[in-house]
Amino acid sequence: MQKLETKDVHLYYGDFHALKGITMAFEPHTVTALIGPSGCGKSTYLRLFNRMNDLIPNVKIKGEVLLDGKDINKKISGMRIDELRKKVGMVFQKPNPFPKSIFENVAYGLRVNGINHAGFVEERVETSLRQAALWDEVKDKLKKSAFELSGGQQQRLCIARALAIEPSILLMDEPASALDPISTAKIEELIYELKNKYTIIIVTHNMQQAGRVSDKTAFFYLGELIEFDSTPVIFTNPTNSQTQNYVTGRFG
Amino acid sequence: MSKKNKEILAFWIFRILSFLVIGVLIWIIEFIFVRGWHMLNWEFLTEMPKDGMTKGGIYPAIIGTLYLVAGSMLFAFPIGVLAGIYIHEYTKDSWYKRFIKLMTNNLAGIPSIVFGLFGMSLFVNTLGFGDSILAGSLTLGLLALPVVIRVTEEALISVNNSFRHGSLALGATKLQTIRRVVLPMALPNILTGLILSIGRVSGETAPILFTVAAYFLPKLPDSIFDQVMALPYHLYVISTSGTKIQESRDMAYGTALVLVLLVLILNLLANTLRRYFSKKVKMN
Repeated sequence: MQKLETKDVHLYYGDFHALKGITMAFEPHTVTALIGPSGCGKSTYLRLFNRMNDLIPNVKIKGEVLLDGKDINKKISGMRIDELRKKVGMVFQKPNPFPKSIFENVAYGLRVNGINHAGFVEERVETSLRQAALWDEVKDKLKKSAFELSGGQQQRLCIARALAIEPSILLMDEPASALDPISTAKIEELIYELKNKYTIIIVTHNMQQAGRVSDKTAFFYLGELIEFDSTPVIFTNPTNSQTQNYVTGRFG
Repeated sequence: MSKKNKEILAFWIFRILSFLVIGVLIWIIEFIFVRGWHMLNWEFLTEMPKDGMTKGGIYPAIIGTLYLVAGSMLFAFPIGVLAGIYIHEYTKDSWYKRFIKLMTNNLAGIPSIVFGLFGMSLFVNTLGFGDSILAGSLTLGLLALPVVIRVTEEALISVNNSFRHGSLALGATKLQTIRRVVLPMALPNILTGLILSIGRVSGETAPILFTVAAYFLPKLPDSIFDQVMALPYHLYVISTSGTKIQESRDMAYGTALVLVLLVLILNLLANTLRRYFSKKVKMN
């Protein structure tokens, strides 16, 4: 069974038809990059999976978004929105650590889900920070404010925060676009590592980044999925001429 | 006139006008300090007024004002903050939300004497609280309510949505998000607004005129159903309608000074608290 798939999903912001019948499936332990020019619907599509679009007024969604075969938008399939978001973690474009200590940032997801056992929380915080390749840099200052970290460290903290509740899917919305090249390289390395444990979907504007980190790439244009294939194929031998033009930098 | 000279002229106009504002404030404070400073002593702050309010102290008025401020905040703070949270975090942008906001703003624009009359009619007469701390506190609380709501709303607006989204995306409920992330971040601004509204409430005369304030009552209240003296009303009484206005001049300046100092101290406190909490919020 596919881990995650959408079947003929349409999304409307009021009258604006933002996603036009997207059907896609994501395999476990792969990195899928969503690329396309601004406004093509790739971020909107990403936010379907943890229902962040619900926060925007006047959004209408048609079609099915299936996680392990269950439609996440249907109340009767029995998945509460907080349960869903425990399974589907998200990292945002700009680092958004909470104004709390480094430790409490990572522990936050556990605490709001009712896990407060000190030993367990400590262990999970350490594991998550190690997974996010941040542990060595922060292990001596866990009680310090997260705002004292650099932008790149903050973003890795946000990744650790998302990993702490052990999701099976990780959504990343241009996670490196606000970072310098060195921090970006670290995040990309991290994505490569994390693939072993998680199914990752990443939105990116950076073509090289998509090429470096992803196994499969989907090209969106004007709310439609133009082409979806393995990353080497999309970048070297795409079927569609629009894809070809975009990845070679002739428009976008 | 050359471009450069216009620039210089504009700069000086702005500068002079701002100095004028500061000048007026300093003038008022100086006026009160010079005339009231010699009245400030332990006796003045801790004794009952004597001899037709020409001698003694203003202790009951200070205590009365403190009771009224505390009572009004006990009422306005929880209701105002919860209403502010409701308006900003829970209502969607619709005619309903706009209606609530419009009404809140209108409430803020009602003259304080109208609040006084309303308080007398509702709390003193209809609900039968009589002239009492309870009636006065509730009336002052009503006056402070729109301010507290507005301040809370503004404080919540200043919390970036990315923090809310970050929390929700980790499986937190809306209530958890508000309690654990949004409110701690908004707290410094809410507290500042609260203390500033205390400053306003402590100086109001009209709302307490018909609801609580006593002309002369040289004793402390026993319960919330007692009347009290209050600083602003006391000031009004001894400056305009006492029996010996000339002899109580010094008392009036002393009272004014205490009132001004009270408000200044509260403003300073507001600043300190805000700094303290905005540091603390980053640490937790």
